[in-house]
Amino acid sequence: MRLRRLTLFATGTVLFASLAAASWLGARLIVVERDNGLIASLNAGHDLAISAEDPPELVFARLHFLATRDRLDEAQPLLNQLAGGPDRRLAVAALYDMANARLRVAFNHLESSRIDPAIPLVRLAKDNYRRALTLDPGFWDAKYNLDIAMRLVRDFPQIELEGEELPPEAVKKLWTDLPGLPRGLP
Amino acid sequence: MGWRARILATLVLLALSISPALAQLRGVELYAPRGFGHVIGDTLTLTADIALDAPFRLDSASLPTPRALNYWLDLRDVRVKDQGVRDGVHRYTLDLVYQTFYAPLEPRRLTIPAVALFAVDGERRVAVDVPSWSFLMSPLREIVATGPGPAMALRPDIAPRLLPTAPLMRGLLLALGVALLALLLLAWQMGWGPFGRRRSRPFARAARAIPAALAAPAADPALAASRYARALQALHRAFDATDGKGVFAEDLPGFFERHAAFRAAEAEVRRLFAASRRAFFGADPAGAQRELPPAELVALSRRLRAVERGTA
Repeated sequence: MRLRRLTLFATGTVLFASLAAASWLGARLIVVERDNGLIASLNAGHDLAISAEDPPELVFARLHFLATRDRLDEAQPLLNQLAGGPDRRLAVAALYDMANARLRVAFNHLESSRIDPAIPLVRLAKDNYRRALTLDPGFWDAKYNLDIAMRLVRDFPQIELEGEELPPEAVKKLWTDLPGLPRGLP
Repeated sequence: MGWRARILATLVLLALSISPALAQLRGVELYAPRGFGHVIGDTLTLTADIALDAPFRLDSASLPTPRALNYWLDLRDVRVKDQGVRDGVHRYTLDLVYQTFYAPLEPRRLTIPAVALFAVDGERRVAVDVPSWSFLMSPLREIVATGPGPAMALRPDIAPRLLPTAPLMRGLLLALGVALLALLLLAWQMGWGPFGRRRSRPFARAARAIPAALAAPAADPALAASRYARALQALHRAFDATDGKGVFAEDLPGFFERHAAFRAAEAEVRRLFAASRRAFFGADPAGAQRELPPAELVALSRRLRAVERGTA
């Protein structure tokens, strides 16, 4: 009788626990499906307001939406949120997409010979690519696009006060900070 | 990392006479990755095996901190592993992880600068130099684009992806499956629903308990009588269990009222009760067997089982 009551109690506990797990998972599934709907509509080109509490995938979808429409100032806070977030894959993707968007805007400026507004955009793009590569050194698309940005606006060695830290030959290799579309050997 | 070049940093023995402290440094061996074919964004791990004479320790304060060394080279990570003292030699393994961001137009030799460390033993300090290392960096793109399409086509963006639902779905199905199993187990334990009917099928049990061999005429009349009596008892227990209390011949009208399905076998049931009255109270087993022969008793048990099951 005692054993029977014990097995009854055990079965009841398992039933209760599995029902609790099922209801939690079901609730999660509903939330995730709602978020997926929002991501899909952002991808389809409908702008939606999101909040900081939304999952990072949704934040990234909004960032992608803004970045592909050259709304860089609105995208920057989202990039800050994602780049400091725990999801490394999304941080890399956000930095990369944002850098691509900046580079595209810079190309537009350069095509109409507006050099001054292009330089800071290329510099910011390079910084974003570098941060993406710092997080994921094997990200080939970021390497390729960083190479393009590097040839537009070359890096140059900064003359640091602690001279011993800098290799002496680096000091000689001063680059002018001019954008240049490569047309032949530099 | 592929194969590693091995560079032995030779000690400048001349320095011995100038600085006797140098004798405390046994040697620094540098293990480097391949010296060519690196592209922008690659990480390079230099490993230095440092051997010191025993009382000396590597001064951890002299280790470089991860930072940008110059405009193209970042020191990303510094890891020191103390290999302990063996034969009076204190060995360390120092891993220096660099990342290069140089964008060369053609293969270009670059140099990772030397790292100056110190070994200490109380007041004494000895310089430990991890030598510099040079390697070739390769460009990723041609100088003048000759391929199809625009010259500076960017690699495409990373498109946003949907949140994965498959693990949640799997978990949900698993939880529901476990819940269903637990519910079935509970129903079986509590005798709910179909399990309840299965558990309270006393006539099925009685029919199982009455062997078909009873119908065959037995050689020994005493044995036959006791088997017949046990069969009657089994059927009576089935009636008691079905009604929830003892059923006697005078209770039969009430029993048929409560369990109308058994009315189909009313005549045989009355004969059964008459036979058992003779067998148990009349001490006339032979008469009882004449009233209800064993073959008919077996048939009756099957009939009652069918009635109970609802298939009569």
